[in-house]
Amino acid sequence: MRSIAFLGRGGQGIVFAGEVIAETLFEQGLYVAQLQSYGAEVRGGSVLSYVVFDRDRVENPFIESFSLAIVLHEAGMRRWMKHLEGSDLVILDELVSAELRNAVKLPISRVCVEKGVLGRENVVAIGVIAASGVLDPSVVERVLSRKRGFEKNIEALKLGLELGRDVADRVAAVLRL
Amino acid sequence: MVRALLSGNEAVAEGALAAGCNFFAGYPITPSSEIMHYMARELPKRGGSFIQAEDELAAINMVIGASWAGARAMTATSGPGFSLMQEGLGYAIMTETPLVIVNVMRAGPATGQATKAAQGDLMQARWGRHGDQMIPVLAPSSPQEAYDLTIEAFAIAEELRTPVVVLSDEFIAHGREVVELREKVEIPSRRKPRDPSEPPFGSPDPRIAPPMPPLGEGYYVIVTGSTHNEYGYRDVHSFETHFRLVKRLVDKIRLNVDKLFRYEVLGDDDAEVAIVCFGSVSRSAKQALRMLRSRGVRAKLLRLVTLWPMNDEVVRRELRSAKTIVVPEMNLGQLIYDVQRLAREDSRIVAVNKVGGGIPIYPSEIVEAALGGSR
Amino acid sequence: MSVAKHFSRKYLREEVLPTPFCPGCFNGVVMNAMFKAMEELGIEDLRNFVFVSGIGCSSWIPNPLIRADSLHTLHGRAVAVATGVKLANPRLNVVVIGGDGDLVAIGGNHLLHAARRNMDLLVVMVNNMVYAMTRGQLAPTTPLGFRTATTPYGNFEPPINVAKLLINTNANYVARWCVSNFHKLKQSFKEALSEVSKGFRFIEVVAPCITYVVRYEGKTPGQKIKELREACVEVKSISEIDDVERRGKIAVGVFKKELKPGYVELYESYASRAREASQK
Ligand SMILES: Cc1ncc(C[n+]2csc(CCOP(=O)(O)OP(=O)(O)O)c2C)c(N)n1
Ligand SMILES: [Mg+2]
Repeated sequence: MRSIAFLGRGGQGIVFAGEVIAETLFEQGLYVAQLQSYGAEVRGGSVLSYVVFDRDRVENPFIESFSLAIVLHEAGMRRWMKHLEGSDLVILDELVSAELRNAVKLPISRVCVEKGVLGRENVVAIGVIAASGVLDPSVVERVLSRKRGFEKNIEALKLGLELGRDVADRVAAVLRL
Repeated sequence: MVRALLSGNEAVAEGALAAGCNFFAGYPITPSSEIMHYMARELPKRGGSFIQAEDELAAINMVIGASWAGARAMTATSGPGFSLMQEGLGYAIMTETPLVIVNVMRAGPATGQATKAAQGDLMQARWGRHGDQMIPVLAPSSPQEAYDLTIEAFAIAEELRTPVVVLSDEFIAHGREVVELREKVEIPSRRKPRDPSEPPFGSPDPRIAPPMPPLGEGYYVIVTGSTHNEYGYRDVHSFETHFRLVKRLVDKIRLNVDKLFRYEVLGDDDAEVAIVCFGSVSRSAKQALRMLRSRGVRAKLLRLVTLWPMNDEVVRRELRSAKTIVVPEMNLGQLIYDVQRLAREDSRIVAVNKVGGGIPIYPSEIVEAALGGSR
Repeated sequence: MSVAKHFSRKYLREEVLPTPFCPGCFNGVVMNAMFKAMEELGIEDLRNFVFVSGIGCSSWIPNPLIRADSLHTLHGRAVAVATGVKLANPRLNVVVIGGDGDLVAIGGNHLLHAARRNMDLLVVMVNNMVYAMTRGQLAPTTPLGFRTATTPYGNFEPPINVAKLLINTNANYVARWCVSNFHKLKQSFKEALSEVSKGFRFIEVVAPCITYVVRYEGKTPGQKIKELREACVEVKSISEIDDVERRGKIAVGVFKKELKPGYVELYESYASRAREASQK
């Protein structure tokens, strides 16, 4: 059993990212469970969305740590600090000022600004995971093609694939079943 | 067999459609609305009826009317709406009207936390009506089970001429998982009286529901929520008529307990530690069971799929060896009353109660309760 | 000597007679007007009818008295149950009979929304001006100043004018008659069962409770009928209603008569749009 979590704040497409990951892994033939949790309010409040996956039916989706967590905004962190501390690997956007022993920082939001895909941090993050090979990029593309904003999302996905190259081994190590 | 990635709410709707549901009336309420949205999309094009009622009182009563007119009818709601539907459910019980009602539990009372999972409606599902009554209550623990049990609920409703509650919760409702959909589901239609002389409200064997005459076929059926004899004539005075009727209605469910009672047991037969649970919490409980056993604790899990009627014998038997019984619930303690009633006298019963905020009960909390003191 | 059976007998379950109503109760007049209309329309039996009622004296009119399928439902919920029946089997003629408390107080919301939807139902409201079954409490229709069990010093809550309210909805048909207008009432039943046989049809029958209104006033049923006859003024257009009521009279008549498609018809065309959309 492995898991991928996205944390951030309302409006960042955190749930969308969970959906794309769940659908991709499902189409790759795995069993998945996708859950989400909102904080005080959807816009601006903390949001967590995560996917648990396995070769067999997922026994328990109510997990206490993640194989991989990607944090796109500090708002999403405080409530889930224990989860994050216990996780195998945490990727923080470089603007997130937290320090965690198991975290690496990536310039996800900066890439979005510089390459003109504002607001697509979520899809860049998906690309970062896909760079590990755990997600099949062509399946991700197929899943994205069914959703709104396809063209921009594909751009963002490609940026993520590139950005994720440096951490691909570490991501693969925590996600491979 | 088709595999689909569905939320629990979508799975309920798919299950209902597979079971031949052709009437839905509902009133929007979080976290159940997606069931309604699904039916709103599907029923009109499949020749069924969908209506957004003006409130839950209307919804349940429309479902009752539709059922009498021959439809396989359902509604879905959450706590506040479920409360409003209780009087209608009582009427459906008294008139032996088949229907399925899904209650997607959220944190209450009142508006509480509308988007957060809870399990506080267990007792309401069992006892929410006034008077003497009993109806089946089924509790899924995953979208797959939400699908399967919705189909099952229709089958029970039709066979026993009773409302059936599917007790889901927000975690199941909004969590998406892989669901295996069945190719074909055959649910036998309710039996009609052979002729108008066969009583539609009486049965020599209480375990068997009387035949149900559909409206508009010349049976001239008299349906009333008042006490009535086996032909439907009101009798609001005699002891015999009332006692015979409510006794039969309760026995119809109670004496079918062997057929209705579903449960799951995992782990060691001679367990010292038992976990008793239902619904989405069972998922954490299963992991907790594995954690306990990997530490060398002889442990078992008893998961109730049917919450009502209760098979006391099964629960007593399954809890016989347990010295410690952990009861995790997303409420302040409801299932625990059954455990207290049916467990060995010398057992230590530990409640794990946690509700609100959309935070589940975690496996480690169940393990801790099993190994440590009471919380 | 053979006696011709009363015309209403063929629509009744002989075995439950006599009726459960108080001697002199006007519910019998309502029933007879409806049955007479049915007879004149050549309706031989009621196998295509479903009667739905709630709880109250007038809710006992159909169940079990009328030889037809009938559902005696919860207090206030008759219109909702009837809606379910109609949608699940649109072939059926669904008739709701109920009291002013049942249909307007506890069930008021359903009445309003069924009218908004132009739901294909005939709703007959027996306005007896009180809650009769529960021994004469205030109803939303109780006139000002009237003493009831819960307004022992005289009612100070202005009553609702249900028929007038429903004119301004999508209802196809709205009429009000007094029990003293037997012939006109019967004509309205005929209209609502044949000419305007679709959409929401509402007939209010002013039928003061014999026990908690008429007897309280110290009158006999005959005196009350006479009084009603004098109080009723038939209006030819709705603009006259207010004027009649200002004079302390009861405006009666057919207030609204349209032939708009009812809910069932609208739903069917909606469903065919749904089928088309899904084929694309
Ligand atoms: C939920 C509920 N509340 C209250 C009652 C008690 N009750 C029965 S009939 C009735 C009033 C009936 O008045 P109306 O509808 O005007 O009928 P009538 O008897 O006057 O014909 C009431 C309050 C009930 N049966 N159910
Ligand atoms: Mg009344």
